[in-house]
Amino acid sequence: MFSRRFDMGVKIGGAVLGASVLCVFLVIFFGVRNTVADVGYRPEQPVPFSHKLHAGQLNISCQYCHAGVENSAHSPVPTTQTCMNCHTAVLPESPKLQLVRDSYEKGTPIEWIRIHKVPDYAHFNHSRHIRAQIDCKSCHGPVEEMGVVSQFKPLSMGWCLDCHRNPEANIVGARPISGVFTGQMHKVKDLLDSTYLYKPIPAQVAAASDLKDMVTPSFGQKQSPLPKYHVDGIPHPKKAGIGPENCSACHY
Amino acid sequence: MNATNRIARLFWIALAAAFAGFVVMVLSGNITWFSTARPLEFLNNMDHQFKAIPQSGNTFFADRASVRTAVEGTVARGQQVYPLGQGDIDKAETANVNPGVPRTDFVLARGQNRFNVFCSACHGYDAHSNPPMVRRQRWLGIPDLTRPQTAALSDARIYHIISAGQNLMPSYADKITPVDRWAIIYYLRTLQGVQGVASNAPASTQQVQ
Ligand code: HEC
Ligand code: HEC
Ligand code: HEC
Ligand code: HEC
Ligand code: HEC
Ligand code: HEC
Repeated sequence: MFSRRFDMGVKIGGAVLGASVLCVFLVIFFGVRNTVADVGYRPEQPVPFSHKLHAGQLNISCQYCHAGVENSAHSPVPTTQTCMNCHTAVLPESPKLQLVRDSYEKGTPIEWIRIHKVPDYAHFNHSRHIRAQIDCKSCHGPVEEMGVVSQFKPLSMGWCLDCHRNPEANIVGARPISGVFTGQMHKVKDLLDSTYLYKPIPAQVAAASDLKDMVTPSFGQKQSPLPKYHVDGIPHPKKAGIGPENCSACHY
Repeated sequence: MNATNRIARLFWIALAAAFAGFVVMVLSGNITWFSTARPLEFLNNMDHQFKAIPQSGNTFFADRASVRTAVEGTVARGQQVYPLGQGDIDKAETANVNPGVPRTDFVLARGQNRFNVFCSACHGYDAHSNPPMVRRQRWLGIPDLTRPQTAALSDARIYHIISAGQNLMPSYADKITPVDRWAIIYYLRTLQGVQGVASNAPASTQQVQ
């Protein structure tokens, strides 16, 4: 019916269309999968716990509950004991806290549903980043405004590398509410103004004479002087360790 | 039927397929904009390996906890146990001796940081015990730490209160390292505006130390 040449044209057209659909699929699959599929993940938790109430309104510091991020790879989700520090006295009868009380009495952990997770073949270490005075907000978003925590960043390899190559543009400086230690004193008057609590404070390098102190009463008693190279007070990842673009920094 | 039509038809079919795929994704709860379900994982190569990861379930143990509780009578490496109970106030005065943490600006800043993290929720940033929780009338009767009575407590006694707790105040021995506890005490003294005494124990017992 059609000329051969025309038929050929249609076949090639079809192939090109197919190939481009495949390309689009691959780009979506490998490029934006994390962004589309993971960002915004907000499972319903067994206890209706609200960060907006506890961190945002009651001004409880992130590290009060997630204590130990300074020293360990993982940021601990609080034990039941931490909740009961207050909830033995605060709202001891609340039905919303029934599960917490049961867990406390029986000694079984509350099974919080995990939100942020990098695959098991990649290793992320919190302490390295917290000691570099990077605020939680850089990676977790404004958690203190979230009623239910939702994943804010893709946690893809590209995202890690974007910051390692260009930290200036991606880092939110430490804020008092996160409890990230900067070696800097705040004025108590400022702290009582709750807008100050949520503002990034300019990162500061401890004075040369103070660097020695850090070795004795250091973070969690680990010998750790402040890293030497700084971008506005934040150690530059390009100068750190084995280099943050080295595959074996994260895959080992 | 001409070729342009055919290409157009192919185009519409592809578009319809993409749309149908999108609808299926939404309905099956795989797009987090619309659902709270766990995101779908295609080809999860080695995402989930059979190894113990902190804070995750582990099918290897009957109780599914990957973090094991210590065997009775043992202590983890580096872990420091506070030996006194809440009631041992007399012993605390002699037992808690500052190991010589220097009182520099840097240590004070660390003390402020730890105070703001662990104490301010109940005692406020200024130690007047008037944080939002108290202003919202959720917990009343937390003592103002700047009152003379509290300022008169010795360093050793405050160290004891942080480590073992006092009545409704919980113990923070597992969360604050001993050095950080001394840093907190230095900082608390600046808020109280007093010098502080190391210990209130009778002189004779102090000599024994
Ligand atoms: C009163 C205790 C408390 C405070 C304060 C607190 N958190 Fe949490 N956080 C929790 C609990 C409990 C969970 C687990 C339940 C959930 O996900 O809501 C959690 C979960 C999270 C998660 C998700 C963990 C996962 O599964 O991936 C992030 C991220 C987080 N918190 C960050 C923060 C940040 C940032 C702050 C400070 C602004 C903060 N938290 C303050 C108790 C607390
Ligand atoms: C520093 C003290 C403190 C800690 C620690 C704390 N809470 Fe709370 N929580 C409060 C206060 C105060 C309120 C009441 C706030 C209000 O409504 O004014 C509250 C309210 C709640 C409520 C709402 C109860 C209701 O009936 O409305 C839930 C649920 C809750 N907390 C869960 C938790 C969980 C889970 C943890 C442990 C991760 C925790 N809290 C740790 C102080 C605390
Ligand atoms: C440089 C980015 C970054 C910063 C800064 C950061 N986090 Fe995370 N956080 C992550 C990543 C990535 C994960 C997933 C880790 C994993 O799967 O092993 C995570 C996981 C978590 C979890 C879940 C439990 C876990 O560790 O696996 C909690 C809770 C958490 N972060 C809290 C915090 C808090 C609180 C802070 C601030 C003190 C903070 N994070 C700062 C990137 C960051
Ligand atoms: C917001 C910026 C930021 C993000 C996002 C970030 N990092 Fe980093 N990372 C840094 C900085 C800054 C340093 C340097 C810290 C230092 O020198 O103490 C660093 C250092 C590291 C190091 C040590 C490198 C070495 O040379 O030893 C590793 C490993 C690492 N990051 C892993 C990760 C992984 C995995 C992710 C993603 C899940 C990630 N980081 C996301 C800022 C970031
Ligand atoms: C800063 C840390 C970091 C460095 C450096 C790094 N990776 Fe990754 N890589 C990750 C993270 C995080 C993931 C998981 C991304 C995800 O969730 O899909 C990943 C995933 C991967 C994957 C699996 C991708 C997939 O979707 O299945 C491969 C392959 C990989 N990395 C190879 C490399 C190679 C090769 C290098 C060295 C050139 C390298 N990585 C360096 C953090 C890193
Ligand atoms: C969960 C709330 C809470 C937190 C957090 C908390 N306290 Fe307390 N604190 C109390 C309560 C309640 C009392 C009163 C105890 C009593 O009735 O004897 C108290 C009493 C005290 C006293 C004795 C005051 C006196 O005059 O008898 C001192 C000193 C003290 N706290 C210091 C601290 C320090 C330092 C921290 C931080 C490491 C801290 N507290 C954290 C609730 C708390």
